[in-house]
Amino acid sequence: MTDQPTILIIDDELQIRRLLEITLSANSFNVVASSTGKKGLVDAATHHPVLIILDLGLPDIDGQEMLKDLRRWYSRPIIILSVRDSEDEIIRALDNGANDYLTKPFRGGELLARIRAAIRLNENRNDLPIAEFGSITLDMVNHSVYKNGELLKLTSTEYSLLCLFVKNRGRVLTHQYILKEVWGYGYLQQTQYLRVFVAQLRKKIEENPSKPTLLTTESGIGYRFVD
Amino acid sequence: MPLAKTESYHLVSFILLFVVSFIATMFKLGPVLLASSVSALAWNYYFIPPHYTFHIAQTDDILIFGLFFIIALLNGILTTRIRRQEQLVREREARTNDLLQLTKLLARAGHSSEITDVAISQISQRFGITPQIYIQDGNNNLVLSETITPDISEIVQLTFRNQQCTGAGTSYQSHSNHKAFPLTGASINTGVLVVSHVLSESNFDQNPLWDAFLVQIANALERDFLSRIAQKASFLDESARLYRTLFNSISHEFRIPVATIMGASDTLLNETHNGEIRLELYNEINTASRRLNRLIGNLLNMSRLESGFLSVRRDWHDINDLINKVTNELEEELKYFNIIILVADDMPLVKIDFGLMEQVLYNLIINASQHTADNSEIELLVSHNIGEMIITINDNGSGFPPEGLEHVFDKFYRINDSKPGGLGLGLSIAKGFVEAHGGKIHLENRKEGGACFTIWIPTEDPYIEQLQTT
Repeated sequence: MTDQPTILIIDDELQIRRLLEITLSANSFNVVASSTGKKGLVDAATHHPVLIILDLGLPDIDGQEMLKDLRRWYSRPIIILSVRDSEDEIIRALDNGANDYLTKPFRGGELLARIRAAIRLNENRNDLPIAEFGSITLDMVNHSVYKNGELLKLTSTEYSLLCLFVKNRGRVLTHQYILKEVWGYGYLQQTQYLRVFVAQLRKKIEENPSKPTLLTTESGIGYRFVD
Repeated sequence: MPLAKTESYHLVSFILLFVVSFIATMFKLGPVLLASSVSALAWNYYFIPPHYTFHIAQTDDILIFGLFFIIALLNGILTTRIRRQEQLVREREARTNDLLQLTKLLARAGHSSEITDVAISQISQRFGITPQIYIQDGNNNLVLSETITPDISEIVQLTFRNQQCTGAGTSYQSHSNHKAFPLTGASINTGVLVVSHVLSESNFDQNPLWDAFLVQIANALERDFLSRIAQKASFLDESARLYRTLFNSISHEFRIPVATIMGASDTLLNETHNGEIRLELYNEINTASRRLNRLIGNLLNMSRLESGFLSVRRDWHDINDLINKVTNELEEELKYFNIIILVADDMPLVKIDFGLMEQVLYNLIINASQHTADNSEIELLVSHNIGEMIITINDNGSGFPPEGLEHVFDKFYRINDSKPGGLGLGLSIAKGFVEAHGGKIHLENRKEGGACFTIWIPTEDPYIEQLQTT
C-alpha cells in the first residue's frame, strides 16, 4: 500500500469510475472503486478511505439507505455525486450525513476542491481560536472580527452566524441546520431571518456584497462558506 | 210564455239562429247538428201557429221553417269547419315552434352530453315521456350506463346494430315493453334513443313531429361527433409536427457539440500539438459539453412542464442571490457582453421558487446573448410594486421581427437568423415557470432598438422590513 490517502468511489457507471480514477490518481490519491453498494460497504470497511464518493443511483441499494448504513460507523467525509438534482434529494442526503453534494455533470476542478476541503475540514477538527480568510480575521477568544485589521461591529446574531459558517467552512449548510443552530428549533421555518442576516453579514464582511466570494448561496439548499 | 203570445215569432227564429251559430263556435259537429234540429223543432212547436203542435198551418211558415232548418245546419257546419281548420293551423304552428325551439337549443348545446340533455327535456316537454339516449364512443361502440337493465341493453344494442326501430309495437322484439329508435345522422350512427315502459295506448311516435325530433337530435349529435373527429385529427397532426420538430432539432442541435467533442478529442489523441493549440481544443470540448448539458437541461425542464406535475416551492429569497447565481453560471457565456444589473435599493425579500426562477433568468439572459452581437449591453432591472416583483431584461440588439413577437414563447419556435445552439425551448420554459408562479411575461421591442422582456411575479410582503433589523 502506498502512503497516499485512499478515496473510495461507489458508482455503477464505468465511465464515471474511470474518469474519477484518472482525475484522483493524477492528484495523488489512491483510488478504490466499487460498482455496487454491497461491494462498496465491504471496501469502505477494508480500505479505510479518507473519503467516499457515493452515487445515489446504485443498482442494488438505494443511495440514501447506503448513506445511512455508512454513517453508522464511518465518520470521515462522504461526498455525493449523483445525477439526481432535486433540492429534496440533496437536502435529504445532507441530512443523512453527506458532507457535500455535486450533481453530474460536474467539473473535475470543482470536485477536487470539494474533496480537499472536506478532508481538510475533517482533519482540522480542533479549531484554532483565530481563523483568517481573505481580509477577514475572526478571533473567537475575544469574540471579535476584523476586516483589513479594522474591528467590525457585528450583532450577536451575525457573530454566531459567522462562527457557524467558519467552523464549517467549505461545507454546505442547509437552511434548516443554520436556523436550528443559530436561532433554535422554533425558527426552522423562518427563512426570512436567515436571508436578512446573511445579507447583513455579507454587507459587513464581503468586498462586494452583491458578488459574495466568502459566503456563497447554494440555490434552494443553503449556504457555503469558502475556506 | 210571453214570447209565444206575440205574433212576431219570426224574430224568435233569428234569436235561435244566433244561438245555434254561437254553439257552433264552441262545440263539434254533432252537438251543432243536434242544436240546429232541436231549435228548429222547438221553434215549430212553440212559436209557429198553431202553438204546441208540430203542425204548421200556413204554407209560407212551412217554407220559413224549412229555410230556418237549412240555414241553422249550414251555419253550424261551416263554422265548425272553419274552427277545425283554424285549430289545425294552430297545431301546425305549435309543432313548428316546438321543432324550432329544439333546433335552436340543439344548436346552442356544445358537447354531446349537453345535446342529449336538451333532447330529453324537449321530448318530455312535447310528448310527455322521458326517453334515455345512449351515444357511441367514436369507435362504433355504444356507451351504456352501468344502471341499464339487461332487457333495455339488449334492445338498445339491437337497434344500434340494425338501425331499425325495435321493441314494443315493431316487428323486432315486439314483446318488449320498451321501444328504441336509432339516431342516424347523414353518415354516422350516433346512438339510440329508448323509451322504456311504453304504454300500449300511447302513440307518441305517430306524431309527425316525432320523426322530425329524432332527425334533429341525430344531426346535432353527428355535428358534435364530426367536430370532435376533426379536433382529434388536428391534435394528432400537431403532436406529429411536434415530434418531427423535436427529433429534427435534437438530432441537429446535439450533433454539433458531439461533433466538436469528438473532433477535438480525436485531434488531441492522435496528434502532437503545442500547448496553446491543445488548450484551445480543451476549451472547445468544454464549451461543447456545456452546450450539451444546457440542451439536456432544457429538455428535462420542458418535460417537467409538460407533465403537469410542476410543483412551485416558494420560500423567501434575496433576489441578489438569484441574480448572482445566474450570472456566475453564465460567466463563460457572458464573457463578451456588458451586463448591467440594477436592483432597487429598497427591494424586499421575495417569496419564489429559487430553482424555477433561476431557470427563467438563465434562459432569458442566454436568449439575449444569442440574439445580440458581442459587446452588446444586457440590462437586468429588478424592482417591486405592491404585491409583485418586476424583472426587466433589456438588450440593445436588433429586437424580434414583428411577426415573431407572438410566437417567441411557442415551443420549438426559433427566429430564422438566430445563432445556432438552441432548441427553441428556452423562452417557452421561462414562460411556463413564470406562469407556474402565477406571474406574467411579456416581450416587446424597445423604441431605441433591442428586445425588452418584462416579468411580473406576485409575491407576499415579508414581515421583516428589508435589512433594517439588527
